[in-house]
Amino acid sequence: MGIINESVTADHVAGKRKTLDERLHPFMHAFPYIAPHLIIFAVFGIIPIVFGLYISFTRWNLIGSPKWAGLDNFRLIMTPGTYFNKVFFKDLWNTLLFVVINVPLCIVVPLLLAVLLNKKGLKGAGLFQAILYIPGLISVAAGALVWKMVFNSQYGMINTTFHLQVNWLGEQPWAWITIFVLSLWAGIGGNLVIYRSALSGVDQNLYEAAQVDGAGPVRIFFSITLPEIRLPLFYTTIMTTVGAFNVWGQPLMMTNGGPAQSTQVLLMDIKNLAFPAGPSAAGMASAMALLLGIILMILSIIQIVFMNKED
Amino acid sequence: MSATTSSARPQVASPTAGVSENKARVVTPSLIAVYAILVVLCIVWIVPVIYTISTSFKSVQEFMTGAFNFFPAKWVGDNYMRLLESSASYPVFSWLKNSLIISIISAFLSVCVVALAGFGYSRLEFKGRDTLFFVLLLISMFPTVVNIIPQYRIVATLGWVNSYWACIIPGLGNVANIFLVRNFMKGIPKELDEAAKIDGASDFRIFRSIILPAIRPILIVIFLFSFTGAWNDFLWPTIVFNDINKMPVTAGLQLLSSQMQGYSNMGTLMASTCLAIIPTLLLFLFAQKYFLQSLNITSGLKG
Repeated sequence: MGIINESVTADHVAGKRKTLDERLHPFMHAFPYIAPHLIIFAVFGIIPIVFGLYISFTRWNLIGSPKWAGLDNFRLIMTPGTYFNKVFFKDLWNTLLFVVINVPLCIVVPLLLAVLLNKKGLKGAGLFQAILYIPGLISVAAGALVWKMVFNSQYGMINTTFHLQVNWLGEQPWAWITIFVLSLWAGIGGNLVIYRSALSGVDQNLYEAAQVDGAGPVRIFFSITLPEIRLPLFYTTIMTTVGAFNVWGQPLMMTNGGPAQSTQVLLMDIKNLAFPAGPSAAGMASAMALLLGIILMILSIIQIVFMNKED
Repeated sequence: MSATTSSARPQVASPTAGVSENKARVVTPSLIAVYAILVVLCIVWIVPVIYTISTSFKSVQEFMTGAFNFFPAKWVGDNYMRLLESSASYPVFSWLKNSLIISIISAFLSVCVVALAGFGYSRLEFKGRDTLFFVLLLISMFPTVVNIIPQYRIVATLGWVNSYWACIIPGLGNVANIFLVRNFMKGIPKELDEAAKIDGASDFRIFRSIILPAIRPILIVIFLFSFTGAWNDFLWPTIVFNDINKMPVTAGLQLLSSQMQGYSNMGTLMASTCLAIIPTLLLFLFAQKYFLQSLNITSGLKG
């Protein structure tokens, strides 16, 4: 490739000696194409990382210049009894609770549905899939208002239809359940489509051979289907987990963190600390974000290592 | 003729093939069970949306009586009229307009930036090209939570608080999209560009006449992804907008839901929700094929 390129660029350059200009030429040629992205990525992708790491070690109100504080923010978070310690670990616990319940739901339910939809002789699979997929295109803000109305204790569909008096949004465990319902409703579509196409890519001969050997549907699912689609399964698990750790909109809209802050998640307090009505504690918020970021980074590393192994 | 084909078939395959053909024709109990599960689930999935639509046409009086009807006793457009009239305090239509502008410009610029960069990183030769791209990809995997606060500071420095640009420009730095385009371009024969190059075509000419038409399918996917991504973006708009007239609809709905409580506002709140749902639903109806295809492209290449 390099040879072809040089023969073209040679027309433009008079001298035979390789000047700096000549060596830079291919890059300058490519620069107009990659520059728009590169500049935006530098400003909104690279600088924020460096800056974000730095301010985690500072005291900063978002307006003036950050004051270096060393490990103070992290020390406060880790010292039992402090306000930030209580907030961080309560939120982390709630976030983990969301992850631990939401991720399996958003993997297993679409996987089973994909198996059902790929069943031989089933008609209208496309329509079923479209209906299950659509909520994923609705924003969390709008989707939450839909379910808030359904779960409304006075006028909601569920309480009025079944003559219940459950305070869905204001009492546990109902408050969590409403959040999980919303997340499952909005969250299965994408994974469902991925699993369906992965399943249709599995060699049919494997199934036929297993049937001949007398394996039942459950045995076939665990011995053939699961191993055959392990890559998309793994990919979706990581993506869903990262998304779940970043949960914010669902509890904010449904319960606003309540009752008694039992559905308050990390991103809520990170945002509230950094962008409150009053003075900002952006340094502390950054430190918390960094701790959450470390968890997410470990997940990404696991993903990269696993994917490379498979290749 | 038929005798030769049937005898050429492997012996094991023919009986099993016969069984599966029978299964397709006869409705088995297990197939009925599958239909039942799917129908029930689809009803559960769609009923809340229908309930939202029907509630948006209920009058305040109907809420006051406390009588529950799934569909309004009388269909009225009051709630939508109220949104039109009280546009000063609840500018829902401005929010929709803002969201539409942000989403369209985001999607359009994403396609432009990604197509150019994808061409640069896969077709133009320069030293360290693949290393540079790999480094970008690696950096982009850094968790975005850490970036939010500094990004706000940068946006504020640029004077973009309460500006559409705050929601448009940062997203254009997406690297995953370039990764998709770059992989897609690998499927286009290089001989095409080289032949054009010998004929004296410039890089831009090659980009415009050969590459751009060839990568159209993936660009449509990126357009749709960017559009729905921008439309549904929630956390970021609540940070960079505080002017009620300039914010997109997700941030607006959040304000609305905290302010509109009680029966007198239920219908209006649901009317706003319906309006916020419509655009992406329409997009899905018209471009369903591309949406479903897009997920397979993204997962297939990454996974």
